[in-house]
Amino acid sequence: MKATDNLRPADPAAVLDTAIPHIALVGQPNCGKSTIFNSLAGFKANTGNFAGTSVEFTESVAMVGGRRVRLTDLPGTYSLVPSDEAEGVTRHWLDSGAADAVILVLDASVLSRSLELALELSETEIPFVVALNMMDDAGRKGISIDAQELSRRLGVPVVPTVATRGQGVVQVVMEALVAASRRIRAHKPAYDRDVDAAVESVRSLMPAGLDAARQRYLAVRVLEGDPVVEAELARFPGDALERARAVRRRLAADHGWSEDSVFSSHRHAIAVNLFEAVSRVVRNPGRPLGERVDAVLMNPVLGPLAALAAIAGFFALSFFAGGALSGLVMGPFEALGDSVRAAIPGVAGAVVRGLVDGLGGGMAIVLPYLLPLLFVMALLEDIGYLPRAAFLVDGLLHRIGLHGKSAIPLIMGYGCNVPAIMGARALESRRDRLLTVLITPFIPCSARTVVILALVGAVFGVRWVIALYILNILVASGVGRLLSSMVPGESVGLLMDIPPYRVPPVRAVAAKVWFRTKSFLLSAWPALIAATILMALLEHWGIQDQANRLLAPFTAGLLGLPEAVGVTLIFGIFRKELTLLMLFSALGTTDVASVMSATQIMTFVVFVIFYVPCVATIITQVRETGWKWTGVSVLLNTIVATVLAGLIRIAGSFMA
Amino acid sequence: MTLLEVELTRPVTVASLDCSCGLSRNLACLGIHLGDRVSVVRRAPFNGPILVHVENSGVDIAVGRGMASRILVEGD
Repeated sequence: MKATDNLRPADPAAVLDTAIPHIALVGQPNCGKSTIFNSLAGFKANTGNFAGTSVEFTESVAMVGGRRVRLTDLPGTYSLVPSDEAEGVTRHWLDSGAADAVILVLDASVLSRSLELALELSETEIPFVVALNMMDDAGRKGISIDAQELSRRLGVPVVPTVATRGQGVVQVVMEALVAASRRIRAHKPAYDRDVDAAVESVRSLMPAGLDAARQRYLAVRVLEGDPVVEAELARFPGDALERARAVRRRLAADHGWSEDSVFSSHRHAIAVNLFEAVSRVVRNPGRPLGERVDAVLMNPVLGPLAALAAIAGFFALSFFAGGALSGLVMGPFEALGDSVRAAIPGVAGAVVRGLVDGLGGGMAIVLPYLLPLLFVMALLEDIGYLPRAAFLVDGLLHRIGLHGKSAIPLIMGYGCNVPAIMGARALESRRDRLLTVLITPFIPCSARTVVILALVGAVFGVRWVIALYILNILVASGVGRLLSSMVPGESVGLLMDIPPYRVPPVRAVAAKVWFRTKSFLLSAWPALIAATILMALLEHWGIQDQANRLLAPFTAGLLGLPEAVGVTLIFGIFRKELTLLMLFSALGTTDVASVMSATQIMTFVVFVIFYVPCVATIITQVRETGWKWTGVSVLLNTIVATVLAGLIRIAGSFMA
Repeated sequence: MTLLEVELTRPVTVASLDCSCGLSRNLACLGIHLGDRVSVVRRAPFNGPILVHVENSGVDIAVGRGMASRILVEGD
């Protein structure tokens, strides 16, 4: 029996039941927390081989070894003193005291760095156990780790795990449950005498009502300059905060240390000693394969070329594969639609026709193009290519005032803008986050890619599709440059972990693709069907024509498009997947080239690529940046879309 | 000598940081500390960041040029 066989996701209502033990997953970015979470709770948390995949926490109740356990997957954090918004989420959550115990996930392949967080957690009063994850990676690096010795030295249970294969994950949850009920506390790290003396003297400033462990925790944190704890001390009676700061200054000055690094450097020294005591190099791994791959993929000349070739190849593939699949499924649905049209008159006929159009559209048009894209995105995320892409384009992005790390959310934007905008939280500075959020809607998501492939691809060929993407990147860069000159401040430098390549198990990639496909099937497809029915009804009652006439000065007058496309653009705001289907039903044919000229098709597609993002994107933008910036973003997109579409129209009139 | 000027693959030791800002903490979080043996494995195009390999922990960190120019190192 595999380790995951006895796990089943349980009733979501139970999430609120406080009688169920609550276990949180904590760890540095990209150590596999979400993978552990998913192997216990089913695929719910997004995973990827880069720091900052999870920027929010995900919660679920799962059956683990016959017991109900409430699990929370927290965003990765290098340290408990947060340095970005996502890390702040974790710290705040831990401070709330919601967890009965924590599973601290350590990346065994970079153990000495991971141990620093273990030492930080040892200072808190939260019971925890260690999941020593990525043991397979450590083995490949030729490192052997003595988990028992590590457990003895930390004072908490240590379970070796390989989360991608589900190894050890059940056991670590069991250990966490025991730790929660016995309130297991880790050994406190032993600092040198002067540091310990400083901790003691700050501890004596704390109110007597607090227990000793809490006093010590606050003392260590305030000596580290932790802003959250400083705020807490400011509320204590007397001048506790001022006196604590004085101790901190003296400690740093006496030793010539900088104030903010006294503890981090001590912890580092302890972590290195601990690492050396529990691990040994069993063999020289030689030059890893990943390095040889990087010699090409991260090469200043070959790297970008390889990326471009891969992208072009991908579009060609998804165009041909998607086109072929689409063609196969489309025929029967069209025939069905035609016979329905003939057979059922009146309102009922309109409803059935809309239903058939919506069903067929999802199946024949969206899925064939969507699936390959989702698959490639999943692969890129899991293998670990995204941070390398960020490394390559950082220099270019800085020229337009952006940050290399923006590349990761922006690339993810090609899948869907919503996670891309949320992914911007992994950026440290507010300015970089804002710029990334404003530029993301210019990146054509998978739904817009469907429109591009199905219209431009079918009528003009793959080369024009690629040309459009290049145009899109140029426009997005121009907009980025413009915005960064308007938003004050300067982009901070890049500082980013480059993880090793990891070959994701087929099951993990499949689960991720299915997770995202399911979200299309469950939320987009019903909307698609509802909209096609609505469209058919509007058409039946003649309302559609009135709306189109209302929009005509813009669509027909300014952009030179057929009047009938007006409504499709409105529907497109709700979901971009709708655009294409609506266009087909508005024009009454899937052979768009028979009713629209080449210029009109190109104008339409360019407008669709750039205009107002979909409702889901807008809502996410409001949540991340507020109404003002969202307004700016929507306006900006619409202006750029109109200008570009107008230019295409003019250019087309010269060519005709 | 700063980390920015080191030739590729040459091992050096991090000696000091030329700044009092949060740089040391941020570097420490990712795994670059004073006294660490590091080497520059790669430079990104278009005046981009450098890729720093930390010897004892085996991690690879991309460091922007601005930051790299504030990391002072010593050769053997």
